[in-house]
Amino acid sequence: MKEKIAVLMGGLSLEREISLQSGKRVTEALTNLGYRVVPLDLTPDLVSTLRSERPDAVYIALHGKYGEDGTVQELLEFLGIPYTGPGVLASTLAWDKGISKRLMRASGIPTPPWVTLTADAFKHMGAASALDLLADAVGGLPVAVKPAQQGSALGLTRVADDDALSEALLTAFSCGQTVLIERWIEGASIAVSVLDLGDGVTALPPVEMQPKSGLFDFSAMYTPGETDYYVPARLDAAVTAQVGRLAERVHTLLGCRHVSRIDMVVSPDGMPYVLECNTSPGMTETSLLPMAAQAAGIGFQELVELLACAPLHELE
Amino acid sequence: MVVLMSGARIVFDRWDGRYARRMEGVRSSATRDLFAAAGQSDMVSFAGGMPDIARVPNELVLAAAREAILDHGAEALQYGSSEGREPLRRIISGLMAEIGARVRPDDVVVTAGAQQGLDLLAKVFLDPGDVIITEGPTYLGALQAFSAYQPRVVCVPMDERGMLTDVLEQRLRELGPQGAKFIYTIPNFQNPRGVTMAPERRRRLLELAREYDIPVIEDDPYGRLRFEGGHMRPLRALDEDVVYLGTFSKIFAPGLRLGWVVAPSAIRRKLLLAKQAADLCGSSYAQLTAEGYFSGTSWRRVLRHLVTAYAARRDVMLAALAEYFPAEARWSMPEGGFFLWVELPSFLDLGALLPEAVEHGVTYVPGSAFYPDGRTGRNCMRLAFCYASPDEIREGVRRLAEVLEDRLELYRAFAAADALPPQDADREDVRA
Repeated sequence: MKEKIAVLMGGLSLEREISLQSGKRVTEALTNLGYRVVPLDLTPDLVSTLRSERPDAVYIALHGKYGEDGTVQELLEFLGIPYTGPGVLASTLAWDKGISKRLMRASGIPTPPWVTLTADAFKHMGAASALDLLADAVGGLPVAVKPAQQGSALGLTRVADDDALSEALLTAFSCGQTVLIERWIEGASIAVSVLDLGDGVTALPPVEMQPKSGLFDFSAMYTPGETDYYVPARLDAAVTAQVGRLAERVHTLLGCRHVSRIDMVVSPDGMPYVLECNTSPGMTETSLLPMAAQAAGIGFQELVELLACAPLHELE
Repeated sequence: MVVLMSGARIVFDRWDGRYARRMEGVRSSATRDLFAAAGQSDMVSFAGGMPDIARVPNELVLAAAREAILDHGAEALQYGSSEGREPLRRIISGLMAEIGARVRPDDVVVTAGAQQGLDLLAKVFLDPGDVIITEGPTYLGALQAFSAYQPRVVCVPMDERGMLTDVLEQRLRELGPQGAKFIYTIPNFQNPRGVTMAPERRRRLLELAREYDIPVIEDDPYGRLRFEGGHMRPLRALDEDVVYLGTFSKIFAPGLRLGWVVAPSAIRRKLLLAKQAADLCGSSYAQLTAEGYFSGTSWRRVLRHLVTAYAARRDVMLAALAEYFPAEARWSMPEGGFFLWVELPSFLDLGALLPEAVEHGVTYVPGSAFYPDGRTGRNCMRLAFCYASPDEIREGVRRLAEVLEDRLELYRAFAAADALPPQDADREDVRA
């Protein structure tokens, strides 16, 4: 009989709906493949259910807080249940964009200049009186203002003039306690998914997103038709190879395993900049990892099985 | 999302993908999913607008129900007429007279709650893509009922005196004569804003509706729950072409599912056809029970008690808001009804804050739920004061204030450095 796999989805994060969509597709794929599947939500009954169900592995289809920040990973390690995706340390590092950007910069991986500010710096230290310095500190306008610890581009604003800066900061702070102000790099938005399933770290073909509104925000990400996708991205061969290598380096640098998705911008002169690393990439109809896998000849069902089996193999 | 839950286990809808396209617009709110996921026992809920039914004496209802079966068993358990029982429609005619509207029993169609009236009216009037005009924000259940018929909803904002009729005029001018299928309004203690439309706005609304030849639907579930101030005549009292929705849910009990529509005869005929298709006729047993309940005078005393209790809870909530809520918050002062509306600085997203509030043991409905676009009103919330006990209300407001305080500390830091975004800098720091 095939293994029993619990698929963890939903949760209380802002990305609950997206996670439920990911989880549903993963559940269907695993069921079709003949696994015994237990779809689970993050509720106060989670631990007792996991203990009574005793799954062989947990597939983490959670996005955002708790699912992607190391919380659930830490819990599953304590319970002794193998799980998919990066471990506690990698999840924690990647979750905090400020920390992961520092690590990238120290390793010579190009990432746009930025400043990180916490809510406490504003509340208790008067950081608001230095707003005039902010744009220059990252090389001038326009800048991206976003929560340092949130997925799915929630709370993201592109700021083109100084007047809009405070509103953007307050918006970003409504999603989290730390905010990143980052130089806005014009260019193509690229996502490079990385697979790492025991036989080496391999970048999948890059996916290019061109949102019709100009900003790849939450709504552009999840509303079908609001974004055009190009797989593989419209990059020349040398740049394609370069973004693949960069993605593999970021994956390794942060200590990821199984899977990650590295988001970048490629400027018109072909220079790639890494924005962030996602440790629980979306698996919805419009998600980038399944698109990239498809381009590499890996169907959705196969992708799910590869990921679900990764923690099982590590046990052997 | 198509998910049913029991404990931590998720059960998917296996018929997903086979439903009609019109159901896509009819969404269960993320809010409800969150509550289901939270499952906390000492939660204070300001979310639902449920009447305090415990104050309706069981023995009065029992007497009416017993009479319905013992004296009218054959009728109570039989099919009835689609427009509803004549004696009940006479009672409704009397209730309407008390609020100043001359309505003959024949003008009335009894429905399964006013909610069915909303559904039937939408069914009768709307083709996909038709324009309707509502207040913004407006009753979530109305948006839900309308959305199945796929209209385009144009919202008209309000202030403390109700719908802004000059904005309405602007919209009507853009849309042209007969440019909308109907105007839907809740003039008394509006859900969710808690405001009441001023008499001159009522007259202006009707003038404009005549000028542009657009039917008006007046939804009046809370009209008789006035705590203070003078009664205002309903739109139907000023214009007999107005379609009026009434309900027994707030003056008796929502469990009986009894409401009514008063409409001109041509519209009524269409409604009856739609009603027959929906359920042939309403429950005769429920109607007979209501007839019994409203035949004496005890219901007036019960209603007075209810109104007194709601007024006391509103006062407790207003006092708690004044005591605990941050200075940046503004709220409406409803003179009746179930709800008040709280507005916070524009950058606060109260939908995003809801999970945190749930963790703190308090719930509300984010303002965006009351707008068809699901985005406007993000910095607002609706608080229902009708159901929680006075102690719970104080505790709930305190918890909510704690959640808000944390976010507002930041706002104040920006204000202190004179770095607020323009529209918030213009906000007067006053309580409405």
